[in-house]
Amino acid sequence: MAALGTVAPRIVQALQVATIVLGAPLVSGIISHVEARLQGRRGPRMLQPYYDLAKLFRKETVVSEDASWVFLVAPVIAFVCYLVVPLLIPVLTTYGLPLGYMGDILGGGFVLALAGFSVALAGTESGAPYAQLGGSRAMTFGALVEPTILFVVFAVALITGTDLPYALAATVRSSTSEIVRPAHVLAALAFFLVVLVDTGRIPVETHTGTLEFGMIDEARTLEHSGAPLALLKWGAAMKQLILYTILINVFVAPWGLAGTSKLSSVMLAIPSLLGKAIVLGCIFAVIDNLFSKLRLFKITEFIASAFLLAVLAVLVYYVGGG
Amino acid sequence: MAPAPSTYAGVADVAAVLVLLTEFAMLRAPLLRSQVRLYAFQSLVVTGLAVDIAVVRHVGDLYALAIVSFVLKVVLVPGLVLRLLGDADMDLAGSSVLGVASMILIALAVSAFGFFAVGSLQVHSAALPTTALAIAAAVILVAFVLIILRADVVSQAIGFFSLENGVSVASLVVAAGLPLVVEVAFLFDLLVAVVVFGVIMRVHHDRANTLSTEKLDRLKG
Amino acid sequence: MAITLVILVVFPFLVAAASLALPIAISRYLTIFTGMTTFALSLSLVPAAADHAQVAAGSLLRVDALSVVFVVATTFLYGATGMFAAGYLRLAEGAPGRRYGRRFYAGINLFCWSMLIAPIVNGLALLWVAIEVTTVISALLVAIDDTDGATEASWKYVLIASLGLGIALFATIIMYYAGTTVFGAAYNLSFTKLLAGARHFPPDVVRLSFVLAVLGFGTKMGLFPVHTWLPDAHSEAPTPISALLSGALLAVSFYAILRYYQIAVRSLGSNFPRNVLLIFGLASLLIAALYLLSQHDLKRLLAYSSVEHMGILAIGMSFGAPIAIVGVLLHVLAHAAAKGTAFFGAGSVVRKFGTKDMRRIRGGIEALPWSGSMLVVAVLALSGMPPFGIFRSEFLIVEGGMSDPREEIAALMVVLITLAFFGLSWYTTRTMLSPKQGSSDDGQTLALPTPAKGEVSNWIVAAMVAGALALVILGVHPPAQLGHLLSRASAELAVVR
Repeated sequence: MAALGTVAPRIVQALQVATIVLGAPLVSGIISHVEARLQGRRGPRMLQPYYDLAKLFRKETVVSEDASWVFLVAPVIAFVCYLVVPLLIPVLTTYGLPLGYMGDILGGGFVLALAGFSVALAGTESGAPYAQLGGSRAMTFGALVEPTILFVVFAVALITGTDLPYALAATVRSSTSEIVRPAHVLAALAFFLVVLVDTGRIPVETHTGTLEFGMIDEARTLEHSGAPLALLKWGAAMKQLILYTILINVFVAPWGLAGTSKLSSVMLAIPSLLGKAIVLGCIFAVIDNLFSKLRLFKITEFIASAFLLAVLAVLVYYVGGG
Repeated sequence: MAPAPSTYAGVADVAAVLVLLTEFAMLRAPLLRSQVRLYAFQSLVVTGLAVDIAVVRHVGDLYALAIVSFVLKVVLVPGLVLRLLGDADMDLAGSSVLGVASMILIALAVSAFGFFAVGSLQVHSAALPTTALAIAAAVILVAFVLIILRADVVSQAIGFFSLENGVSVASLVVAAGLPLVVEVAFLFDLLVAVVVFGVIMRVHHDRANTLSTEKLDRLKG
Repeated sequence: MAITLVILVVFPFLVAAASLALPIAISRYLTIFTGMTTFALSLSLVPAAADHAQVAAGSLLRVDALSVVFVVATTFLYGATGMFAAGYLRLAEGAPGRRYGRRFYAGINLFCWSMLIAPIVNGLALLWVAIEVTTVISALLVAIDDTDGATEASWKYVLIASLGLGIALFATIIMYYAGTTVFGAAYNLSFTKLLAGARHFPPDVVRLSFVLAVLGFGTKMGLFPVHTWLPDAHSEAPTPISALLSGALLAVSFYAILRYYQIAVRSLGSNFPRNVLLIFGLASLLIAALYLLSQHDLKRLLAYSSVEHMGILAIGMSFGAPIAIVGVLLHVLAHAAAKGTAFFGAGSVVRKFGTKDMRRIRGGIEALPWSGSMLVVAVLALSGMPPFGIFRSEFLIVEGGMSDPREEIAALMVVLITLAFFGLSWYTTRTMLSPKQGSSDDGQTLALPTPAKGEVSNWIVAAMVAGALALVILGVHPPAQLGHLLSRASAELAVVR
């Protein structure tokens, strides 16, 4: 058994999940607060998402007569998926945790895709036109983003020789030359754009908007209410934090993670992760304010540019080991 | 898995990649003005690369070269072309033969060809980052795609100038020791070429009252 | 001898500058004088270059036997074109005015100057610079007439040629890189150095550089598939410029390729460079022969004939035998004389009949007894008829080709040349020799222009006589010194590691 002051790996792993689950609404809250400030509004409280979730859980659930059980089960599946992913990625530690080897970066991607799929399915299930629209758009653009993600994974796998997220983070930490190597920079940039698309941010989507015509991800949940909606909203926040975590802890800044199983270092890793996520979120908020939303048909171009970056990352790697 | 290149080489490579990305951006830029600005940015990156190499490898000549190239390619050339655009207040949006996605895909395939063509040479040496050379080859090829797929004189001229940027990247990474006289002669030549391009562009615009090259199909056979 | 080089490099430039300020009447004679002087000076270089390895002035200027061949070709056309321009421009003086004349003379002198320095400068980098200068100046000269056609041609020309030279610059950089493996990071690209170290260069890098150089400079030389600018520029430019483009500029670009060839054979052995040149050469010859069969525009016809002859030069180099290389270098000289004369004749005909369309020109010799008949002579010379220089040079090339194990290529070359001969001579002889009034090709009787009998200008006749004379001398009995020069240049080119 672990010595005094150290934390057992399984507990750390549980802490990873807990950090994501409990931290996600906070990060979302702070981002929307900052965003409002940037736009000259006072904005909601930073803890507002928690109140929203609590309120939604207390509300009654209304289900369309046309919807089947899928409509109610899908939010749960999605939520569970988002619970699984933090097991696989380096959230708090630099060393691999027991269940971390359950799946590689591709496995994590699949679990995230399953979540997205079930939400889209639920939207389609409802029979409501806007929800269906959102579902089909989300799947269309999802299909376009997929190759980009694959190429990012290729690039990562080529650089590290493995496709475990832990290994890439370790490689990046090993020297500055790993950070400036073009393959890595390009892959990180491509992933950054993927995160923009997947979290429904400008220039792809206005995540705060109420205009259904421009909606993609948001439209899928229009028909949900009560507890399932709470799960979906919570899930969306978790997905955002998960993607941020991957971008931060795997690609851009894998520092501040716990290198040992000491209680203090693990406990320090939690605020450091949330802090980094908030900084990143602020960057996204700034981007939100600087750019305008693309027309729907221009989104393919945006995704194409991400794809371009990812492919270049692989090509550059192949030539002279860049 | 290959070991990462040194930090200096990495910076040089990233700069080269940036040049390549700007080239892609030029390919899709719908407005001629933005294309010219992208060219100015690309030249700025090339200038930065020159400074980087001058610092790391202690090649004093390159500072002078960086200054000349900054004045010429970041300020003068874009300024001249923008002035021409200012006079020609019609058709500011360039004309492309294909859609953006297909253009990007073609350019990607072409640049992949460049990568592997130069990469297959297997030239490796400690001091000289060959990745940047391969990227420079890709830049040159994408510049060709740009010239072929755009049907207006400004884009085609900018395509040529950016091709020269690609060659500059190559010369900086593999031929940093090239005598200053020669480098300056290259740049001077570029200036002359710019003037001539400008003159002929203006003549074309005065005669045809457009910047498009679609009317240039009289001479055949 | 060194002072000769300096004069050759400085004098035409000064004349070009002076032409901007002087009255046209003076520039006219000054240009002719300069052309003749430089030609005499370049001839004076012949014995020295044939006896010594090189003649150098400082570290920047250097000629050897190879470069003198091209200097002679360029300066000959310089003088001849100066005479032709005097006749050609006299007519136009009234209309385009003095500004046109000043620009024209400054441009033409500058153009000749740039083509003259290209073979004289020492080193690949300066060579590239010189050839780029020829591009920008000649692009402006192509556009000087300010017609729709001239604008289009000059845009195509400046764009395509600049792109080609962009590739050539890349080739230069890569060759420099090849050199760094031997000479260290900083050295100058002088020929002496490169040739001395070539055998130690990394072969793959040299291979890439050579292919890029052939493609890049081949664009300016007019090799298929990058010849597309050539017919347009040649046909739309003022005729003196067409003559210089075709006779001298293409040759100077070929000179650049030969320099790369020289390095490549030392580094790679001769197989690879020869095969590359063979592919480009055969393709150019084939395409040109086909286009020649269906060309009605007199100047475009001559332009495609240039593509044909550049193809022959490339094929000749690909044979690799010293005798074939002597033939190639002789061909450069003979082609300069023949193509110059042909374009002068074409200019005379176009001035007389007011059209370039050969279907609308009949009875050329009746109208132009001297320049018309000499145009026929030049065309026959271009088709490889004895007793002119091109017959001799093509004969030498084919002889070298027959000694090659792949002698069927020489046979194929002869077939294609014959094809080109039909195309070239069919239309021109019909135009020149058939009686004034006749039915046109499609049976209808067109209103053909019927100008009065009489030469356009005696200057034109003088220029053409000079060209024809050179052709006969090269064909019947080339001077012994020239023979030495060519053998020496050929020996230098044929050195394999």
